[in-house]
Amino acid sequence: MASIELLLVFLVFASFIAYGLTKLNTFAGSVFTIFSMMFIFVSLAMYGLDLGMDTTVNYLPSIAFEQTYLGAFFALIITFIYLMVSFFHPYFIDTYKYKDTYNFLFILSLVGIIGAFYTGHFINLFFFFELVIWTTMFLIPQGKSEDAAIKYFGFSVAGSMAMLAGIFLIYQEAGTFAINSGLASLTGGSATVVFILFMVAAFAKLGAFPLHIWLPIAHGNAPHPFSPVLSGALVKLGAFIGILGLIKIAPSTPVFEAIDLPIGQYIIALLGSLSIVFGTLMAIKEDDAKKLLAYSSMSHGGYILVAFSMLDGIAFAGGFYHILAHALASAGAFMAIATVARATGTTKIKELGGMIHKMPITYLAYLIAIISMAGIPPMGGFVSKWLIFQAVTDQGLVFVGIAVFFGSVGSFLYVFRPLSAMFLGQEFSEYKDNKEAPLLMLIPTFIIMGLNIYTGVLPSGILNFINNIVVELGYASVTVTTFEVHGTNGILNPGLISLVFAVGIAIAFIIFILLKKSRKVGLMDTYTAGNFVHDEHVFHYSEDFYAPLERLYEKHSHWMTVFYKALAHKVKELGHMCQYLFMSKHMSASILWIVAVIFLVLVGELL
Amino acid sequence: MIGILIGIGIAFFGFVLQTSIGGINRKIVGRLQKRHGPRWYQEFIDIFKLLSKRSVCHGWIFDFGVIMALGGIIATAMFMPVTSSIVAFENYDNFFIYVYLLAVGMLGMAMSASGSGNPWASIGVMRALTTMLAYEVPFLIVALTILNLTDYSSLTDIMLYQQAAGNSWFLIALPLGGIVGVLALMGMLGKKPFETYIAPAEIASGPMVEYGGKQLGMLFIMHEITVFIEVSLFVHLFLGGASSIVEFLIKYFIVYTVVNLISNVNGRFKIDQVVVFFYKWPLFMAVTQAIIAIYFGWVI
Repeated sequence: MASIELLLVFLVFASFIAYGLTKLNTFAGSVFTIFSMMFIFVSLAMYGLDLGMDTTVNYLPSIAFEQTYLGAFFALIITFIYLMVSFFHPYFIDTYKYKDTYNFLFILSLVGIIGAFYTGHFINLFFFFELVIWTTMFLIPQGKSEDAAIKYFGFSVAGSMAMLAGIFLIYQEAGTFAINSGLASLTGGSATVVFILFMVAAFAKLGAFPLHIWLPIAHGNAPHPFSPVLSGALVKLGAFIGILGLIKIAPSTPVFEAIDLPIGQYIIALLGSLSIVFGTLMAIKEDDAKKLLAYSSMSHGGYILVAFSMLDGIAFAGGFYHILAHALASAGAFMAIATVARATGTTKIKELGGMIHKMPITYLAYLIAIISMAGIPPMGGFVSKWLIFQAVTDQGLVFVGIAVFFGSVGSFLYVFRPLSAMFLGQEFSEYKDNKEAPLLMLIPTFIIMGLNIYTGVLPSGILNFINNIVVELGYASVTVTTFEVHGTNGILNPGLISLVFAVGIAIAFIIFILLKKSRKVGLMDTYTAGNFVHDEHVFHYSEDFYAPLERLYEKHSHWMTVFYKALAHKVKELGHMCQYLFMSKHMSASILWIVAVIFLVLVGELL
Repeated sequence: MIGILIGIGIAFFGFVLQTSIGGINRKIVGRLQKRHGPRWYQEFIDIFKLLSKRSVCHGWIFDFGVIMALGGIIATAMFMPVTSSIVAFENYDNFFIYVYLLAVGMLGMAMSASGSGNPWASIGVMRALTTMLAYEVPFLIVALTILNLTDYSSLTDIMLYQQAAGNSWFLIALPLGGIVGVLALMGMLGKKPFETYIAPAEIASGPMVEYGGKQLGMLFIMHEITVFIEVSLFVHLFLGGASSIVEFLIKYFIVYTVVNLISNVNGRFKIDQVVVFFYKWPLFMAVTQAIIAIYFGWVI
């Protein structure tokens, strides 16, 4: 029996020990971080899965824990990503400005995460959320840009404030801070307002359209090993709030007969669709591999929103499975990019080429991750997308369908770009002496590769656990047998698909091996249309990869940035006005305002 | 186990069928252009000649991609039902498998082409993927309509639904969707005006630029089986499938020949024109069809 309270206390102490150790020796501090992450993960996995955690609180003041399958699912995934990423720390931490604090803040942010998922009390939830935001805010600027942290913080705080307002409203209506009963007791107008406020919080954390602007900036500029955490783990906090708002507030009755969804849920599904389309289009034209993956996270956030707004057991199962599959896929892809960035010092696609020749394992890790991300069998992403598609086709959501299919095909385009331009193509002479990542970094790479495949081949174990969550939320579970997943209008057998795929590969391999052996030639020994090419840099196609497609929409691709710039400008102007009015150099103005405020207060008292 | 053997049989059948019909079509097109055209088994000769030749290799990913491409396509073909009774894995012939397992093959080919180190191959891949983005969405919306109407996603069940008394083929039941289906099929097959990514007569650039010998031969086999999968998908989704193998052969031949004939009297789009085209009328028609059929229930 593991007590959540003790786990959290342990983590807090561990964070201080990690700080001290890192100050003495960065490697020792990082190894300590790995072991404490392992301890937490193993404890959660051992007892958390069947809700065997001890929730009693003996030491911490005014904190109450409660365990649900929903919380356990999220906590476990995120802790797993933390554990995997911590293996990268020893090789990256020396490059940071404030390296002593890195492990400290890293561990401390996990306190917030586990606390947030194991609490049934709104104020606790808010506190733990803030803890996550405040710790990660100091982690992000250790990467490339400090500006990124400000944007991340701005959007996160906007989301948290919206949530806080919602929490107070719930308290006012229901008189309780308990999450489940508070949300369930809402009716009428206040339900709508809380729904909107929670959705704002969810969108801001998830980086969904229209609150997505921070996502590529934060992901792209965060320290390399922290980007997988941001995309695979922290963004999922938004999904959690989204679930609270979309499912736990009693949904209203459908308005349109044809679309069998409450209007609020339908709007969220449409906004999720917009996230998918925008994320995909922006990812296609992005030149930085990390930002590209960040936009893909945005598009996958859209899938998650679509899944949870459909109010259907199969869609929920798809959504939960997608959370897991995307966490694994994006962590895998980001970690592969981090490995490349460590070896080359850049994440710009056009500055890289032919990394596969020196880093084949990293290449395979990236390949498997993107196959899952694009939803191609036999990886986990296919199972989740299949479940979501089942729900979309069954409910006949045409417009959502456009986005869902567009995102799915579009993801082939954008994930292929780093694959083609970074890993394949001409091998650049400056990277000829690169080496594969060290063993410690390959451990998580292999684990994530294995899990990406496992989730795609044998989803039944995980889906059975997800069924617990779906039932807990009050919806019908998905029928799952050892090999089969039953959707509304068909059966999927991922194991069989993998087997058949293996048979196909075997046949192709036999054909290949039976035929005459080919002569090995170099990469520059290719068809050049009669030109003499002497420099591999000019013989590598990586910049503006989808130029003909980008031309069609690049003129319109900046309007969100322009809008937010204008908004920021207006807020600044407002600030200037306040400054001018209230904080001017003239004493008289200040006194005037003080008198005015006192007057207003007195009038208020008199009324 | 027996299913896997049947599946391999179907994949082989698909290869032989499409290669023969492709050969016959070369003859038909030849006649259309007042030529004699090659013999009907010319395509077989081409493939076996290529397979017997010695060629070059640009590193392991170049070979691995080819194997993955052919393997993925064979796997997809193994799931494909030929008639409503000849199917390797009953109940598992799910529609989405074709769309996504096909992508494994495409990814393999794209990877191999980029792995050759030739930038023109990458440009070809870029065009192929962009074309895919164009035709897939309207096609999938029509497929969504069909899946929603039949409540099945298994191809055999969709086939049986159309064969049942009182239901007409979806080409007739959903006329707008049927048009979209034909256009999307032309895109999938890379027929003019959507053949920009191969553009065989004009430019050397294209995914295939670096291939020769066995790799090219294997990709030819892959291409034939891909065409088999795509045309069969159209037959099963829109033309009521087939209850006997003769019916399947007739429908298959007609569909492929008609598409080929349309293709041969057309010019070629630029790649961005392909995208704009598909996102204009076909998408509009597909959405209109979906709304009419799903929300209003007007199905002929």
